[in-house]
Amino acid sequence: MTHVVTEACIRCKYTDCVDVCPVDCFREGPNFLTIDPDECIDCAVCIPECPVSAIYAEEDLPKDQLHMTKLNADLAQLPGWKSITKRKSPLADADDWKDRTGKLPELLR
Amino acid sequence: MVIDGPIEADAVVIGAGPVGLFQVFELGLLEIKAHVIDALPFPGGQPAELYPDKPIYDIPAIPVCTGQELVNNLLKQIEPFGATFHLGQEVGTVEQQDDGRFFVATTQGTRFLTKTLFIAAGVGAFQPRALKLDGIEAFEDRQLFYRVKSPEFCTGQNIVIMGGGDTALEWAATFATQGPHHAQSVTLIHRRDAFQASPANTSRMRELCERQQMRFMVGQATGFESEGDRLTALHITDPQAATHRVPLDVLMVFLGLSPKLGPIAAWGLDIERKQLLVDTEKFSTSVPGIFAVGDINTYPGKKKLILSGFHEATLAAFGAAPLVFPDKTVMLQYTTTSTQLHRVLGVTPNAAD
Repeated sequence: MTHVVTEACIRCKYTDCVDVCPVDCFREGPNFLTIDPDECIDCAVCIPECPVSAIYAEEDLPKDQLHMTKLNADLAQLPGWKSITKRKSPLADADDWKDRTGKLPELLR
Repeated sequence: MVIDGPIEADAVVIGAGPVGLFQVFELGLLEIKAHVIDALPFPGGQPAELYPDKPIYDIPAIPVCTGQELVNNLLKQIEPFGATFHLGQEVGTVEQQDDGRFFVATTQGTRFLTKTLFIAAGVGAFQPRALKLDGIEAFEDRQLFYRVKSPEFCTGQNIVIMGGGDTALEWAATFATQGPHHAQSVTLIHRRDAFQASPANTSRMRELCERQQMRFMVGQATGFESEGDRLTALHITDPQAATHRVPLDVLMVFLGLSPKLGPIAAWGLDIERKQLLVDTEKFSTSVPGIFAVGDINTYPGKKKLILSGFHEATLAAFGAAPLVFPDKTVMLQYTTTSTQLHRVLGVTPNAAD
């Protein structure tokens, strides 16, 4: 088991989640945060922190987001994706993107 | 009497969440007295800190209760056992001694020598969320505070308080009101004009603002000014993106708490994905005498549920009994019938017949 960041985070990156993570398992990409499944301890503390409800326990993932488990794991391995432990400002146009769906093509590695 | 020596104990429980509290109960039935350490200044752990008012539906035989009700009931249940609580303390060191006992020290300086140790630390120790301004940490404990240790310190000072919860509002009201801790000025800053606080605290704060005994600003801290080693002002950016300079003597930050797993990995115990590996017979870690119960442990099939933690604590207590009382045979007894358990619980059910 792990927790998984879903597509809702893409182009928003509010970063509220990283403040509460007890094990610092979030990794930061250009326009998305991912959870390193080898680090996450499934404490679920991050779930209510996300303003766009992007984070799910793996077994609770919506059916259209199941692909995100593997994507989170793969992105966490990319050398450019560094650990993020402190909240920072969301992306400038986050509020314009927060309610959109189907954002996967927007993901930057 | 050696006053400075460590506290000699049969059992030390790290974590006063529901599972740590129930650990005290199960140890108590076996006549093992416990010391309980928790980083929070009150017992209850996650349910008390993260969701005191949220209903829980999966505690056996309790169809629904809030996090705080669960904690209150557990505290009542363990009352007969007289556990000693060491709150607001975080365990830093755990070392096994030559005699097999464990030396446990908190970062606040309390030390124990214990025969058994129960790690019920959940997702870690709750720490105040820090203000995210590069360099501001240099002023911590001099002008920047995440807890109020001595309110006298604030008398006659220009105080800025950040946060929108009850703690922030209560301290703002204390310092803004005539009395021994009356400040020169009090400015409350919160990111929005809505509070996660009781209606009473919120209306009291608004009233104090109307009477100009304090002021409230909406905004976020985006910078600070200092002179030499002194913090002199904070820059607050409001929702219209205008930045205001707020001079101050004392900055208090109450942005809530979040857990940090802390030094558990350094205690020489087998770990899998930052959780303590245990057996499912005694919930012992890889070091005999150290048990791990609740959210902090892992084993095949583990589910992070409070009710699972209660079971784990029960078997851990039985696992510990031979280490505490090597010459005693520990029997399973029932609270319905055992006069011995009635004695330790301080009850006399037959008298009611």
